[in-house]
Amino acid sequence: MDNNWELVMGLEVHAQLKTESKLFSSSPNQFGSDPNSNVNFIDAGMPGMLPVMNFGCIEKAIKTGFALNFQINPYSVFERKNYFYADLPQGYQISQFEFPILSEGHIEIENDNVLKKIRIERAHLEQDAGKSIHDIDPKYSFIDLNRVGTPLLEIVSYPDFNSADEVINYISSLRQILMYIDVCDGNMQEGSLRVDVNLSVKKPNEELGTRCEIKNMNSFKFIRQAIDYESKRQIEVLESGGKIEQNTLLFDTSTGETRPMRSKEFAHDYRYFPDPDLLPVHLTEEQIEKVRPTIGELPQQKLNKYINDFKLEKDVAKIIISEKSYAYFFENLISSKSIKPKLAASWLVGDIFSFIKEKNLQIKDIDNSSNKIIQLLEMIESGTISSKVAKDILVEVLQNNKEPSQLVKELGLEQVSDNDELEKIVDDALKDEEDNIMKFQSGSDRVLGYFVGKCLKATKGKGNPKVINELLLKKLNK
Amino acid sequence: MSDINIKKVSYLAKLALNDDKAALYEKSLSEIIEWVDNLKKIDTEGVKPLHNITEKNQNMRNDEVLKKNSTEEILSNAPEKAQNFFRVPKVVE
Amino acid sequence: MTTIKEIKDQLSNKKISVQELYDEYYNKAKKSELNSFNQLLEPEYNKQNIINSQSRYNEKKDLPLDGIPLGIKDLFCTKGIPTTASSKILEKFIPQYESRVTQNLLNDGSIFLGKNNCDEFAMGSSNETSFYGPVINPWKNKNQINDHLVPGGSSGGSASAVAEKICVASIGTDTGGSIRQPASLCGVVGLKPTFGSCSRWGVVAFASSLDQAGPITNTVEDAAYLLNSVSSYDSNDSTSSNHKRDNFLGGIGRSFDRPITIGIPSDYLKDVSSEIIEQIENTKKHLTNLNINFVDVEFTTTDFALSTYYIIAPAEASSNLARYDGIRYGYRGKGDSLEEIYVNSRSEGFGEEVIRRILIGTYVLSAGYYDAYYRKAQRVRRLIKDDFQRVLKDVDFILTPTTPNEAFKIGEKLDPIAMYMNDIFTVPTSLAGLPAISLPSGLSKNNLPLGIQLIGNYFQEKNLLQIASLLEKEFVFNG
Ligand SMILES: [Mg+2]
Ligand SMILES: [Zn+2]
Repeated sequence: MDNNWELVMGLEVHAQLKTESKLFSSSPNQFGSDPNSNVNFIDAGMPGMLPVMNFGCIEKAIKTGFALNFQINPYSVFERKNYFYADLPQGYQISQFEFPILSEGHIEIENDNVLKKIRIERAHLEQDAGKSIHDIDPKYSFIDLNRVGTPLLEIVSYPDFNSADEVINYISSLRQILMYIDVCDGNMQEGSLRVDVNLSVKKPNEELGTRCEIKNMNSFKFIRQAIDYESKRQIEVLESGGKIEQNTLLFDTSTGETRPMRSKEFAHDYRYFPDPDLLPVHLTEEQIEKVRPTIGELPQQKLNKYINDFKLEKDVAKIIISEKSYAYFFENLISSKSIKPKLAASWLVGDIFSFIKEKNLQIKDIDNSSNKIIQLLEMIESGTISSKVAKDILVEVLQNNKEPSQLVKELGLEQVSDNDELEKIVDDALKDEEDNIMKFQSGSDRVLGYFVGKCLKATKGKGNPKVINELLLKKLNK
Repeated sequence: MSDINIKKVSYLAKLALNDDKAALYEKSLSEIIEWVDNLKKIDTEGVKPLHNITEKNQNMRNDEVLKKNSTEEILSNAPEKAQNFFRVPKVVE
Repeated sequence: MTTIKEIKDQLSNKKISVQELYDEYYNKAKKSELNSFNQLLEPEYNKQNIINSQSRYNEKKDLPLDGIPLGIKDLFCTKGIPTTASSKILEKFIPQYESRVTQNLLNDGSIFLGKNNCDEFAMGSSNETSFYGPVINPWKNKNQINDHLVPGGSSGGSASAVAEKICVASIGTDTGGSIRQPASLCGVVGLKPTFGSCSRWGVVAFASSLDQAGPITNTVEDAAYLLNSVSSYDSNDSTSSNHKRDNFLGGIGRSFDRPITIGIPSDYLKDVSSEIIEQIENTKKHLTNLNINFVDVEFTTTDFALSTYYIIAPAEASSNLARYDGIRYGYRGKGDSLEEIYVNSRSEGFGEEVIRRILIGTYVLSAGYYDAYYRKAQRVRRLIKDDFQRVLKDVDFILTPTTPNEAFKIGEKLDPIAMYMNDIFTVPTSLAGLPAISLPSGLSKNNLPLGIQLIGNYFQEKNLLQIASLLEKEFVFNG
């Protein structure tokens, strides 16, 4: 960013709610189905069809309200936003305008180890539009109404962002929280989370500049590119004496540039008015409070718990909470009382993640192996097997879903901790080693390592290093 | 006379009016708007707008899939369709 | 053979078969020249329904409306049957679903003769805005016997057909008077129920906060029969009321066991002809015989009702009619771009009055005008509702004329505002969402029917039908 210029941004995030059915109709809310197969007459805007509110969406909104520190409004109103578009069957979008369900929330984001509070103006429920497909035929566009009526929560921030990093951090936090509370599946590729960036530039201490809105982006990479491109563009325009025209822009992913969407003869005039087919939403204190216990632990709470109670390193804890699925996998591992959180954490972010990455899997793909992983970790904790052996067994367990105890038995990999057995091996190892024993006794520690290695070799790696160590010291110090 | 921009209004409503019709509608709308303007004479200070006679809480449904219609039913009245889609002239964004 | 009850008696007693009854009405309707049906269903279509109905009579298990031939305003979506709202833009539209109201009627055994003509999208007070041409009133002005008169609107086809007796009854819709006003001009009974009584699901919307289905019939008792069928809670309509429904036949013809007071609003009678005042006086006389008391009442908001209505109804309509865009159903205009298809489909598909109302509605909702018109009208609407509640605290019913004039010549009223004035007595009740019934009260000097309107409090349809039935007996009326 040019030193002379400040970047000011506000975000509108559209999160698709993870529900069974749509916002105002009972057809399935499902991605990736055959065209026009998840549609009913309400979605298709057929004459005489009427919307009926899905209370599940209200509950998801309330959950979000608690998680993002919102004021949850006991009175909210659905209005019609009127405009024509091929994938908008009713000729209007049902949304909330004057009276949204959530107002004045905030979250904290961490940027370069500094916490920053981002204020959120409002969040409201609205319906998604269908999809126009332009690339099947050179002459025609094709309309698929499957997405029509999918519930969206539009989360509108204040213009509190000054860098692309902050924007990215905010969206990741938001995504993380929404996934934790089971409000949104967070699948950005499928459009479950879509971002509009309102961007302007100004000189320090100056009033806010004219903003442009870059619409509908669903990847962190493109959001960053769009912000970089658009801020440079605006600065160039201003520095060459031009003026910024308030505009709605599209980010063209093929060129990496922003461009105005549709030039209009007349500015948009959405003619919002309360939808006469719907009544206002009145929520009682009781209805709102009933939702509170369903939120579960939020990522920040988990992070604190992992660091303070489980004594994990901050970096490790952060990796584990970064996805809800990691945290739940981790917590499942330590549900076994004999496994120390630290051990489970290091195995998770170490060998387990490496395996997943290597095989291009997701954590949910190894969910059914979690009991076996617990078994394995238990054997490490009890000293039944060594870490080295455990590493080899883990791969077998994850790959072929084998029982660890069985593997250990089959391969005869049980760690030898038996004192008498090991004492013999130690005695053997010290035979004919007068020179080295002398070296040790005159103060050379390195020799101990040599003896441990020799003993382990003799046990084919199964000897318990700790016991061997103790025995050696006892004998050598005699 | 009121300040009706009939071109803008018809543009928003996606209606095309030739000049003659635009003039007629502009005149007609002006008369009607002037006629309804008598509302200025009634004091509504502090009166809450009434959107619907039923002001009670609305009935909502549970989050369940109950009704989806077949693709054939949805497309049965389509003026143009292809490959289970509605078809329109190419839309340029 | 006229009333539903009489017809049902004859069907039960095997004086006539369901098929014979149907044929009689079908043949009359086929011969009618009043254009009151957009479409008569082919007898083949009803064959099975008639057989089923007859067997229920044979087994003495007949349903409340079994075998009764009805007309259905062409605003109700009927599964597999073209539904046009009398508009070119819904040309060839065949709903794949049945409206809740017509489903109720089918469930009660009635037979649909066809779809009644109406004003386009129910916008009009004379049934002259229909794409299928104007409907003609069966009544003639005795001094201008060759003139075709309007039946009123927008349920003009329903009222004309019931008055001509080519269907036993019809189901219409009322937004600002569209049941009561044509009922009055055609000399039949029309009831607009309380908003929320009848489901709007599957009814082509005009103005959602006002639209309400209701019966148009030859007698008050018939209206009760139909209301019993069509009034029901519907979870698919968020504005549907789930109050308990009375048996509306329960009060028909019975005198009240408590003193009844009726208010007559002096402000409704300010500018009306002596002939209309005479109707009210006449009604008063009849009811006084029945020991019913009258008091003068006065509204403070009557002068503002039409303005309020002609902001709110077009505003809602402008949005409700946005879905007619030529993409998914109905008429599609030619065009090389989406924009051209929208504009051509809508400009060619909608008629003049519908376009006018879409433009008004678009204007009053647009930036800079919303507060001055739409929000202002919503505030006045509350004052109107409160005004009625104040008056209804002291009286059981309110008595007014239904219309300011008798049926007029087709083509006579060209000025929209003059046309809108036809609804001056019906619109206030619509805005307040109250139930109201129009019934024939006598004939004008020109030998044309005039109607009076009785208004009750919310969900007091049973009482409203009861008092209307008492009054009906008193009127000397030769149809
Ligand atoms: Mg936006
Ligand atoms: Zn939005």
